[in-house]
Amino acid sequence: MTTQAPAPTHQTTTRSRLPRINRRAQFARRARRADLLVTLLWASGAAAAALYLAYGGASQMTSVAGFITGLGILLGLVGTDFILVMLVLAARIPLLDRTIGHDRAVATHRRLGKPALYLILAHGVLLLIGYGMSTGFNPIAEIGPMLALPDMPLAFIGTGLLIAVVVTSLVAVRRKFSYEGWHLVHLLSYVAVAFALPHQLSVGGVLAEGTVQRVYWIALYVLAFGSILTFRFVEPIVASLRHRVTVAGVSQIAPGVTSIHLKGSKLRSLGTAGGQFFIWRFWTPRTWWHSHPISLSAVPTDTTARITVRDLGAGSRRISTVPVGTRVSIEGPYGLFTDAARTAPKMAIVAAGVGVTPVRALLEHATFAPGEATVLLRASSDDETYLWDEVRAIAAAKGARLYTMVGRRSPVGPSWMPEEDARRGVTLRSIFPELGDSDLYLCGPTTWLDLVEADARALGLPEHQIHAERFDW
Amino acid sequence: MRTRAVLGSIFASLGVLVIGWQAGNAAVMSATTATSTTTPTTTTSGGNSGTSSSGTSSGSNTTTSSGTTTAAPVAPTTGATDGTYAGSTVNTRFGPVQVQVTIAGGAITDVTALQLTNTDGRSVQISNYASPILAQEVLSSQSAQVSNVGGATYTSQAYLQSLQSALDQAGF
Repeated sequence: MTTQAPAPTHQTTTRSRLPRINRRAQFARRARRADLLVTLLWASGAAAAALYLAYGGASQMTSVAGFITGLGILLGLVGTDFILVMLVLAARIPLLDRTIGHDRAVATHRRLGKPALYLILAHGVLLLIGYGMSTGFNPIAEIGPMLALPDMPLAFIGTGLLIAVVVTSLVAVRRKFSYEGWHLVHLLSYVAVAFALPHQLSVGGVLAEGTVQRVYWIALYVLAFGSILTFRFVEPIVASLRHRVTVAGVSQIAPGVTSIHLKGSKLRSLGTAGGQFFIWRFWTPRTWWHSHPISLSAVPTDTTARITVRDLGAGSRRISTVPVGTRVSIEGPYGLFTDAARTAPKMAIVAAGVGVTPVRALLEHATFAPGEATVLLRASSDDETYLWDEVRAIAAAKGARLYTMVGRRSPVGPSWMPEEDARRGVTLRSIFPELGDSDLYLCGPTTWLDLVEADARALGLPEHQIHAERFDW
Repeated sequence: MRTRAVLGSIFASLGVLVIGWQAGNAAVMSATTATSTTTPTTTTSGGNSGTSSSGTSSGSNTTTSSGTTTAAPVAPTTGATDGTYAGSTVNTRFGPVQVQVTIAGGAITDVTALQLTNTDGRSVQISNYASPILAQEVLSSQSAQVSNVGGATYTSQAYLQSLQSALDQAGF
């Protein structure tokens, strides 16, 4: 076993002149795009409110009833805009993925969910109150007349569906569902958003026929549904048909861990970077209804690819026994756990357990001079040193330093490492003396990873230099 | 970068809101000027054809409402002339409003809405709710001097304005 060193001695390396990539400039470009996206997100919310203002809505907010009604309409517009943004974020658009990464897109999507629902609910309640006040009904009694408006029954159904979608996604509730059950309910959000459109166009005057507002709003809907349709449905089908991926072989590399070898055609044209993942669907009677996001454990060649999975659930257990020849549909590549995400000249890589898979591919794919990359592999027992031999070989060939740590988590010191190392005074800084000048790549189970990440933050490593891939669900 | 995104968001949002606000003011202004009326042609008595229906150029709505006047041509006196009179079309930002009134025996016997606000579902609902109430009020008070229906200010004002123009024709 290679060993850990609190103060690793520098091995002198002949600096082979690799094409120098200006990581900082590359990152600055990406950061600019990311900032632009954030700006667009908020500006689109403001634009939704501006639609109401452009309609002359402010002039109607002069009475109490008018104010409540106006505010209700405004919140509905902003809430719907956020839901459309959520659809765009969930569409896995390649440009978005390259800019902010799949994880951050999904995190933003999740963060918008509850606020968007609250805005829509406030929209409904405020309009019931506002309409009720102007006609002299109480808000409950106003439900009747409101349902009598054309397109309103659909909107009520849409709201009900939206509540179901968000409630099933609350962390506490979501745990009670299987992934498939949750996903099925989640698909209803498309229906909910579509059902809401007719009443937006017909009930209020904000999006009246012949207005610029109406054109803009419909364009937003087309953008959101268009990106879902293109990147979640059409694109994966086309890619799957084009690359004709099938299972070439399944091999167990450790108890409960399986490598699935795949073959296909023109795989190189997918432009996969080491560290990325695909969403795979294995077409057997027992597995076709469940898709799996799994990282490649090696950079694909033009005709072969490999993934390595651990039995974390019934689903991944079933796919580890798929027969040779099984057709596989693919969606991807996704993720920013790649060389392209680098912001600093050096690399510091930490992987635990089966988290080694994208790290193995990342190391293979990344461009660095000897001595510029340091890898730390972590396992809780000798049985879990998956793919370590391969990582060792790549590290040796490319001149990356490699350290390993085996053992249960320490009760003292940095608890993400084994007790023995913690007692010897090993720290993140002693393993990666040039951490400040490095991009830190972390991959492993969430609870473990959070500890390493917190450690790195405590050392003052800026957010953009931390790249984490969590293995959960 | 964080700050750049925050500042960018704030300024872009403010910019968009200001544009919306300005557009809204412009829309309200043009809607106010467009609350013009189109006077229907009346052919009550031969000499009265001076008021042609081309009216003021009223924005979007250029309905040349043809006032159907089936009245017995009696020279205008202090009393009202029996007959049915269509009022002028009053354009509101929620759509045009036009009212027709029937005078019989010197009294208002019927008020019918020929056009009511129609730009959106809510406006249609408000007008449909307000129109019978207004008609009832007009019949009982025998004038256009009735109060607005709550929650239907635009419809009420336009309704009564159109009604008044019809009553004027009738010499009521």
